[in-house]
Amino acid sequence: MELVSVEALSWIVTAMTGIFAGAWLVYDVRNLTTLRGKDFSDPLIRDRCFGYLMGITIAVIGLVGVLRFHGIL
Amino acid sequence: MSAAAITAAPTAAPARRVVSPWNPANAVTASRFLTLPPFVWACAHGYHQYATLFIIICGLLDKVDGLVARIFDCRSQFGELFDAITDGICYGFCLVVVAYFGWAPAIPVALTLLLGLGNSGLRAIYMRRAGRPVNYKSYAMERVVAYTAYLIGFATGNYLVTFFFWGFVPVMVVTILYDAKRMLIDAVPPAPVGGYGSAA
Repeated sequence: MELVSVEALSWIVTAMTGIFAGAWLVYDVRNLTTLRGKDFSDPLIRDRCFGYLMGITIAVIGLVGVLRFHGIL
Repeated sequence: MSAAAITAAPTAAPARRVVSPWNPANAVTASRFLTLPPFVWACAHGYHQYATLFIIICGLLDKVDGLVARIFDCRSQFGELFDAITDGICYGFCLVVVAYFGWAPAIPVALTLLLGLGNSGLRAIYMRRAGRPVNYKSYAMERVVAYTAYLIGFATGNYLVTFFFWGFVPVMVVTILYDAKRMLIDAVPPAPVGGYGSAA
């Protein structure tokens, strides 16, 4: 009792992960660039910077995982 | 009444809007628990795709509750805390379930749960330090929570499970170390101004 074929499911997960991780990467890189020239002695700025860096890391893991799943990496 | 008593009388505080905890946003948050029994049923019967569907619904409802709170203007401290607790319970429970049925490696799941519990303890300490039940804002943890939802999807979809689960552990360790410093050592920032009504 399944909804779609196994291959279709793998492509759905690929699309959901790849699109989301790609968009997230662009979003957080853009967020990070907006912090240029800001005062990094402000804890809020530091927290935002760290959060965006972790977002970029997670997005890269997602993209690498998708490529590995399809045997590209 | 003397003139001194009149001048010493406290000035009236500005009226603060009271938001009931029985509001549409919290109803959406609570409805996420309804996805857990069918999720367990799907896992127990080996229905990977249904399990994936239920965790997607749970994740989408997490996004919808914030939207509903904005539409109905019913954001509250209680709602924010309830949302964070629901995240922890739903995703923690689902991680245990996928590990129990052998769909995910047990060691990274156990590490993730331990780190999650540690983070909850840190938040409790931070609440006492800050003297308010406001959910601790962490940009990094918001992203880690989204990754957690995806982890469960990877497990149910049998999608490069080992890579994603072991990749998650260092990300969570670094985030919790950073947040621990902020919650335990750094100065407590001032309370947010005018952001919420109070939960009744």
